[in-house]
Amino acid sequence: MVEPLLAIEGLSIDYEVGSGTFHALTDVSLTLVPGRVVGIVGETGSGKSTLGHAIPRLLREPPARIRSGRIVFRGTDILQLPRWKLPLLRGTGIGMIFQEPINSLNPAYRIFDQVAEAVIVRKARESRALPNPIRAVEPHDYSQGKPVKTGSALLHPAIPSFLGGGSRIRREALRSEVLDYLKLVRINDPETILELYPHELSGGMRQRIMIAMALSAKPSLLIADEPTSALDITIQAQVLTLMKELMDEVRTSILFISHDLGVIAEMADEVGVLYAGHLVEFGPVEEVYAAPRHPYTKLLLRSVPNRYKTDGPLPALSGSVPSLAQIPPGCPFHPRCPLVRDVCEKDPGPVLQRAQGAASPTHHAACYFSEEVDTIA
Amino acid sequence: MTRNNSDLIIFIGKRLLQLVPVILGVVVITFFFTHVAVQNPCAIWAGPHATQDQIAACRLKFGLDSPLTDQFWAYLSSLVTGDWGTNPTTEIPVLSTISTAFPATLELVLASLAIMTVLGIPLGVIAANGAGRWADHFVRTFYLSGWATPTYLGAVILAIGVGPVLGLPTKGDFSSTPTFPRPTHMSVVDALLNLNLPAAGDAVLHLILPASALAFLNLGIATRMTRTSMLEVLPLDFVKTARMKGLSEFRVLYKHALRNALITTITILGLTAGVLLSGTVVIENIFQWPGMGEYAFGAITGYNFKGTIGVVIIFAIVVVISNLIADVLYGLLDPRVEWR
Repeated sequence: MVEPLLAIEGLSIDYEVGSGTFHALTDVSLTLVPGRVVGIVGETGSGKSTLGHAIPRLLREPPARIRSGRIVFRGTDILQLPRWKLPLLRGTGIGMIFQEPINSLNPAYRIFDQVAEAVIVRKARESRALPNPIRAVEPHDYSQGKPVKTGSALLHPAIPSFLGGGSRIRREALRSEVLDYLKLVRINDPETILELYPHELSGGMRQRIMIAMALSAKPSLLIADEPTSALDITIQAQVLTLMKELMDEVRTSILFISHDLGVIAEMADEVGVLYAGHLVEFGPVEEVYAAPRHPYTKLLLRSVPNRYKTDGPLPALSGSVPSLAQIPPGCPFHPRCPLVRDVCEKDPGPVLQRAQGAASPTHHAACYFSEEVDTIA
Repeated sequence: MTRNNSDLIIFIGKRLLQLVPVILGVVVITFFFTHVAVQNPCAIWAGPHATQDQIAACRLKFGLDSPLTDQFWAYLSSLVTGDWGTNPTTEIPVLSTISTAFPATLELVLASLAIMTVLGIPLGVIAANGAGRWADHFVRTFYLSGWATPTYLGAVILAIGVGPVLGLPTKGDFSSTPTFPRPTHMSVVDALLNLNLPAAGDAVLHLILPASALAFLNLGIATRMTRTSMLEVLPLDFVKTARMKGLSEFRVLYKHALRNALITTITILGLTAGVLLSGTVVIENIFQWPGMGEYAFGAITGYNFKGTIGVVIIFAIVVVISNLIADVLYGLLDPRVEWR
């Protein structure tokens, strides 16, 4: 079996705010094998962003509190790392793309300075100017992919010198590498873009820059937290196409978070379905979509408009997502579930295990009646 | 969208032109206030034992018998030609006093602004980063105690309590009157221009207490504004982006977050320049600093109208220019600002 890149084991996270405790994630476990794309799908408030932010320890604690669990990244439990070591995990270890390209670039600096910074951090680590205590975090070498050349820049291990210091040659090498990454994300006129500020670019362009910046650190794992949700539908398609092409070129592992089932189907190899902070189903994306083993997944898929639907209204899920402050006992979905029986209301609820009647051994669901899901009309 | 440097020059030119109506306004207000409020200043100017004839001669000399508007036009035309009048009792020209006293005050204000910047802003960052925790409470206690202390009390405590304990000088700008030429009338600058390092060190030591007094009392604004705007900036995604690049927490806070939070602080610091100037009146008095605060106080209490107006003009210029500097810095910090 391949050593997983990322293994999340029994992760539970609460938010403690004045009005009470919100259980954002409850006992979530999943693994990510190198080179794969795992999609996380769920409605607003299902805890998917919390999951994405928890992995590189971006959550503010308090209000967030990690109740239990482990996040093992390349053999190291991230939750056990002291705070000062976190910067060493980020960048070359784990990269991240955020939802709002409007806010995710610093408005005060030129594009060049922002991308160059990520390159400089990586080079400093490659030249061991900074110690790297995260065991075996060898970043992927994207130069093996198609267009990126990094060799020339490596001859000049950069000491942070972006305040105008440093030799002209080093700056030229840095500049050409930054240009390479802008070209990698298919930016037409990278020379001009380098000198611009974020507010002078469109949303789609900014998201391309974000992708270039994340990739320029050569992370082992890339977390994409709804990277296209804030974009126009045409731009969304362009960015998704780009990401798909890049996945083939750079072969990185991606955790792709989205509320959009279509986007996940397009991007992911495996998909995890989150409901009220519980991972209710996990498995190969084709199989989960074709033969879901959890009633929630089934109903969620059924409520997606299928091209131009003309025969009456779309079936909607009755009821609403429970408040994270009062998650129902037992299975969190039981109040809305058409298959509900008495056993569903009893604690502890169903655990995520190999689903009955599933074709693939990696197809898991947290439901007592998985084999009956097909009977839901 | 992109800005040109020529826009900046036009912007600065426009703002400097605004000085003309501002100065005219303060001159009109101060002139009529002083001349209407005090009916017969010659009773004071001519001395306590002056006879009726001497007072009449004084009124004739200063043209007090002509209509007020004529007096105003006469004053304004002499002002425009560079003659700011004289002190009626000592006959010392207003401009010569101001030209030696103002630089000393400016030096004091700049030194305390520097202290407010290097101490107040990081304190605000520390408070915001640890919002709600002990560091935040500690910083708040520190700046509120300064903010709540009356100027004279804080200065007196520093002069009597802290100064002797630390062995810092509490009087004047030099230990002994300097013999070297004083081209700028700023103690540290003059000593450095004369390459006289011992004198420069001496001047810096003399500057510490009055500048600290002025800074400590006004530090709260810089700290509080920095804290508030940092709290707005810290949850933004670009701070997370900076963290996710693997940058150190120091770089995330000071290079990425503070750069964007500083904009508010800079605006407030620009506005504070006026407050600092008025604060110097008391501080200079206590520390015997040879600046303009003491001259302003003497001019007002001694019915030295022209001196008063001169001080008011200088204060107005400083306030306008410090706001202009704040606006320019604002644009330099935030590339989205357009010069208009």
